[in-house]
Amino acid sequence: MADQRTAGTEVPAVRLSSISKSFGAIVACDRVDLTLHRGRIHGILGENGAGKSTLMKVLIGLVLPDGGTIEVDGERCQIRDPHDAATRGIGMVHQHFSLVEPLTVWENVMLGDTGRFDAAAARRRVGEISEHYGLGVDPDAKVEDLSAGIRQRVEIIKCLRRDPSILIFDEPTSVLTPGESERLFDVLRLAVREENRAVALVSHKLDEILHATDEVTIMRAGAVVKRLETAEADAPMLARAMVGREVSLRSEASALGLIETVAASVDDVEGPRHQAAPGAGADSESRVPALRLSDIKARGPDGRIALDGLSVDVYDSEIVGVAGVEGNGQAALTDLLSSLLNAEAGTVEVDGMRVQPGRPGAMSGAGVAVVPEDRHTSGCVLDMTVAENLFLVDIERIAKRGIYDPAVMRRDAARLIEDFEIQTAGPDAPFWSLSGGNQQRVVLARELSYSPKVLVAAQPTRGLDVGAIEWMTDRLRQVAESGVGVLLISSELEEILQLSDRVVVLFRGRIIGEMDRADVDLEELGLLLGGAEAGTEAA
Amino acid sequence: MSEQQAPLAAEGPETAPTATEGSRSAPSRLREAGVAAAMYLGCIIVALFASALIVWATGGSWQAVFSALLDGSLRAPGRWGETIGIAIPLVVVALGTAINGRAGVVNIGQEGQVMMGTAFATYVGVNLGGPGPIVVVCLLIVGALAGAMWAGIASWLLYWRRVPEVLTTLLLITVASQATGYALKVDWLLLAPFRADRSVRNQVSEQLATDTRLPRIDIWGNDFPISAIAVVLMAVIVFLLFKRSVWGFRMRMLGRNARTATRAGVSTVKYGTNAMLISGACAGLAGALMLSGGDFGNYRFTPGFANNIGWEGLLVALVARSHPVGIVVVGFSFAGLRAGSGFLAATGVEREISQVVLALLVLALLVPPAILFIRERRRALAATRART
Repeated sequence: MADQRTAGTEVPAVRLSSISKSFGAIVACDRVDLTLHRGRIHGILGENGAGKSTLMKVLIGLVLPDGGTIEVDGERCQIRDPHDAATRGIGMVHQHFSLVEPLTVWENVMLGDTGRFDAAAARRRVGEISEHYGLGVDPDAKVEDLSAGIRQRVEIIKCLRRDPSILIFDEPTSVLTPGESERLFDVLRLAVREENRAVALVSHKLDEILHATDEVTIMRAGAVVKRLETAEADAPMLARAMVGREVSLRSEASALGLIETVAASVDDVEGPRHQAAPGAGADSESRVPALRLSDIKARGPDGRIALDGLSVDVYDSEIVGVAGVEGNGQAALTDLLSSLLNAEAGTVEVDGMRVQPGRPGAMSGAGVAVVPEDRHTSGCVLDMTVAENLFLVDIERIAKRGIYDPAVMRRDAARLIEDFEIQTAGPDAPFWSLSGGNQQRVVLARELSYSPKVLVAAQPTRGLDVGAIEWMTDRLRQVAESGVGVLLISSELEEILQLSDRVVVLFRGRIIGEMDRADVDLEELGLLLGGAEAGTEAA
Repeated sequence: MSEQQAPLAAEGPETAPTATEGSRSAPSRLREAGVAAAMYLGCIIVALFASALIVWATGGSWQAVFSALLDGSLRAPGRWGETIGIAIPLVVVALGTAINGRAGVVNIGQEGQVMMGTAFATYVGVNLGGPGPIVVVCLLIVGALAGAMWAGIASWLLYWRRVPEVLTTLLLITVASQATGYALKVDWLLLAPFRADRSVRNQVSEQLATDTRLPRIDIWGNDFPISAIAVVLMAVIVFLLFKRSVWGFRMRMLGRNARTATRAGVSTVKYGTNAMLISGACAGLAGALMLSGGDFGNYRFTPGFANNIGWEGLLVALVARSHPVGIVVVGFSFAGLRAGSGFLAATGVEREISQVVLALLVLALLVPPAILFIRERRRALAATRART
């Protein structure tokens, strides 16, 4: 190792040896070793399901390992629960925030404390931490008014308040704009270099690992496959180790989280299809869009305004990427286009025809196909068979006078299963028996089977691994090539940039920016994602 | 078991699945059926054994008890006709319950819907003049409509004001009981006119005229109303609706995942209301069939007329797990227990003990579906947990 001087002589902050954990028949961690040193950021890289999260949960006490030992500061110990971990100086910033929205920042930070507490001192302490790390968080601000980036800083303050010597970050940038991510890493470096803390950064994005870490451990299928100094690593090597095969960094850049590569590959995207795609052309004024949303106003299930004057057009054969930090109306937009949410104002037109959004089946009937963000709640019926799931929307296609023949259904389903390379025991297998990637294929196969005019894909690759992401990405391109307009709603900027012909930015229920893919300027896009128009960037 | 291996495939890379993923091939389904059959058999044997023990311990003769049950339900002259007569309304109620269960709407108010159906049918049957067959058809239709109306109140409250249908259907039983009881006290509604041959003039309706009764079939001294054939046909139709109709498909979709169904064009309100109305109509029709069939109350409506048929029909649907063919089988079994229990008194065994014996046998039929349900759930859960 290159840095033996510092790393070798001192007692490591944490040493996990031979940690194993199984859930039933699944081995999540198989004799994993991990050593975290003070003053260093240790990246843990791996695909979804590689066992990274389980390993971190062992360290924070959320999961008890089946075997292996844990040493904190050279002392062998057992970590029974997160409280135990906290007393040993281990803190974790989780991927999903646990903040109480109507409370202020300092109240949130103090939540969970027991005994007497001094409100004034607590407020002061929050302010001090914020200032010390340059977080710029107002202790008296209400959490509900804060952007995702600031909320994460509140989580970081919650963690740092206990002055942990070991900090774990689980996929910290998934809800952040690029600018916010950059600042997060600045904070991390400060905490590490100046204060000699040990940091574990869990991620599936190569960029992050390369930029922010000192050393990296790569996991695949529950085991460590490689361990090296980040300085010695490069993207192709990391990608190969993570996926376990040669990968093209260009074509899979978004799956690997290489935003620079994606951003630079405009020329590729500007290929023949893009030239042919008339949607982005100047003549679009005169054409009828496949989907037109005008001034849509809608409330979410909680009664709050979720879409606030949203307008967007999608033309045939083009992919429009809706970029935006999660929680800015993506869910409501998908629900609206799934006939699950009515609009209070505004119109939806499909191919020039008005469609009433809240009426059951109106959207799918008009030709709006949807691959929903959470397929389990609105994309499938888990308890029905694969074949039945392939015909949920248009069972009438195989029915005569209200009666269908299950044999015909099975036969048609078998064809779709083959076309879409769905791995299943057969048409009669229950849908829940499929893996996530294959469930997603079933949903896509069904949605495309009724010749839609528009395909709405909401976070279509979330939770999938690299191979499945690649497949989905290719399919979405093919769909657009076949003449269907695609509305891609994603909080993964890489995905948006890789696929879209046109990018629009969604912020607080409105489209606040629009640009052709060729004209995308990452910095400008980043500012828009943070709601530059609304001026929150100053926070 | 192959299902248990599915999670392995799920956790591995998406590109490397295995053939074992959730296989439910024909042989495995057959094996499932075998397991279920064995479970029923086992439970019934245990229940019989426990019953024998209880009867023996309290000084009775268990042979006499079982023999009486068998005599009362099947063996004695005319008894299986009686059993069929009781099974008719049970099966009709259960078929309706299976439909609302599919759509994910709860109806536990069949007892009240049976009362309303019978009351309205009685009114039509007694007051509507004209050719007998037409009157019978009318009273059956009106009975079904009355049941649907009663269930419709619950469904209307559900979709208008989100009042839980579990509560409304249940509470409407009490209302139905009071309302029909009142109607039976009033001359211009259902109360039979006073006649010298009746000593008490109390809450009883006029008897249906002989030409407004359902014809009865007689086979070897066993007689039952012709509606038995219609009921079997009805079960077949419901079976086909479930298996092959777009309507049944969409009902199931709604019951299993309302959001997905809504997106696919299945209106929760429309299909949910339909399911509830049909369920109520079935219960109402069951009441009308009881009245015009002759196996209950001698063609007269009285306050205790429904006699738990609504509740028992609900139980039949639960035990048969809403499967139409299963409903016919289970319905007949429950009817057999009911018919057989009439003969228990003659065995000299205490009434309380014979009630316990009956309850044990019902329990024996209830346990296997519960175990099967839990098994399926657990399997599904294991698969989902492995996925996350």
